Amino acid sequence: MKKITYQFFTLAALFFGIWLLLSRIDFVKDFHIVQITKANERKLGDLILRDVKQNTGELESDSVKIFINGIKKRLCTANGIKDSSITIDIFLNEDVNAFALPGNHIIVYSALIEYCKNPEELCGVLAHEIAHIKHGDVIKKLTREIGFSMLTTIAGGNAGGQISRDVIKLLSSTAFDREQEEEADTAAVRMMANANIDPEYFADLLFRLSKEKNDVPKRLEWISTHPNSQDRSAEVLNLRKHFVFHSIPIASNIDWKNIENIISEEKRN
Amino acid sequence: MTANHQFYYNPDEYESERASNSYLMSLAVIMVGMPLPIVNFIASLIFYFSNRKSTDFVRWHCMQTLLAQIFILPGNAAAVYWTIAIFTDRTSISNIYIAYIITILLFNLIEFISTIHTAIETRKGKHIAWWFFGTLTDLFIKSKS
Repeated sequence: MKKITYQFFTLAALFFGIWLLLSRIDFVKDFHIVQITKANERKLGDLILRDVKQNTGELESDSVKIFINGIKKRLCTANGIKDSSITIDIFLNEDVNAFALPGNHIIVYSALIEYCKNPEELCGVLAHEIAHIKHGDVIKKLTREIGFSMLTTIAGGNAGGQISRDVIKLLSSTAFDREQEEEADTAAVRMMANANIDPEYFADLLFRLSKEKNDVPKRLEWISTHPNSQDRSAEVLNLRKHFVFHSIPIASNIDWKNIENIISEEKRN
Repeated sequence: MTANHQFYYNPDEYESERASNSYLMSLAVIMVGMPLPIVNFIASLIFYFSNRKSTDFVRWHCMQTLLAQIFILPGNAAAVYWTIAIFTDRTSISNIYIAYIITILLFNLIEFISTIHTAIETRKGKHIAWWFFGTLTDLFIKSKS
């Protein structure tokens, strides 16, 4: 019994000794292990959002917010996504654009809402951005473009406002990888079909954006971050054939007109 | 880690093969056992129970395999649970985690090599007792020597 106790403690000491000794090595620093935890991602997103709010006018209308969040809820509920896990913030901005931020935030500019001919088109954009969030594309893009150390600096609150603004510029004006875009489109079509919203509306929007991209008066930012929209429009129509759904309108034309009117009114004020 | 002892009798060809198989059984499921360590343990447990009425030599080696699996199971399970926690963002990668994974891999590697060595040797009828596990097995399988 004495022998077995001695052997057991020797083995245990060997195990814990090796573990203790190895843990003295700074692997995380030495091997530049990149990790952004969800908590850091949320913190980063909140900081960027705070900066956007300071520099851009936020849309105040509760009617519009409730309407847009209603679209998000329909998409999320139909696709098993926790509705409250994603937040949408709407800003008064002349760029036709929407983009995802770290920490599950989606920024929608008022000009995009006005550009969409119906809520289903906007739903396509929201589904596409939700897909980027769900695939973790935002943080991958930021890590690739600005580096892990800079991201942790921003998340730690040690970066100046300029860096935060550079991040917004990066997210709002540069494209994801082609593969990431294709995956987000596929996911968007699936999400729309699951929510009984016809993905053809999304294809229509992509097609219109590609046709009107050279119109100078319109600042079609979303098309610059989502190139090859004509091809993607065709692909969305192709993907649509693989899903069975019963298209149920999100809202009437009158409701959508009301939303556009509220936005126009706020812009005038 | 291993030592060649003399068993109290000379096992025959059939016994040597059965005893060797107990080690091979734990190796056969190693691919499944990496993500699910309990599979290795269950395989050894099944093999032990299917041989519990066998000769002392076979039972002894089945028990040694089983005891080794019992001891290594919590360590491997902790490694898997810790890794899942990192992938699901419930915790972050730390030096302690990396050190633990290296340590557990090292112990698994030693166990793996010892298992292959023991499987080969027991097949030849030799009696291989592992450090600590061999002594512990002696407590469970009383030899008639």
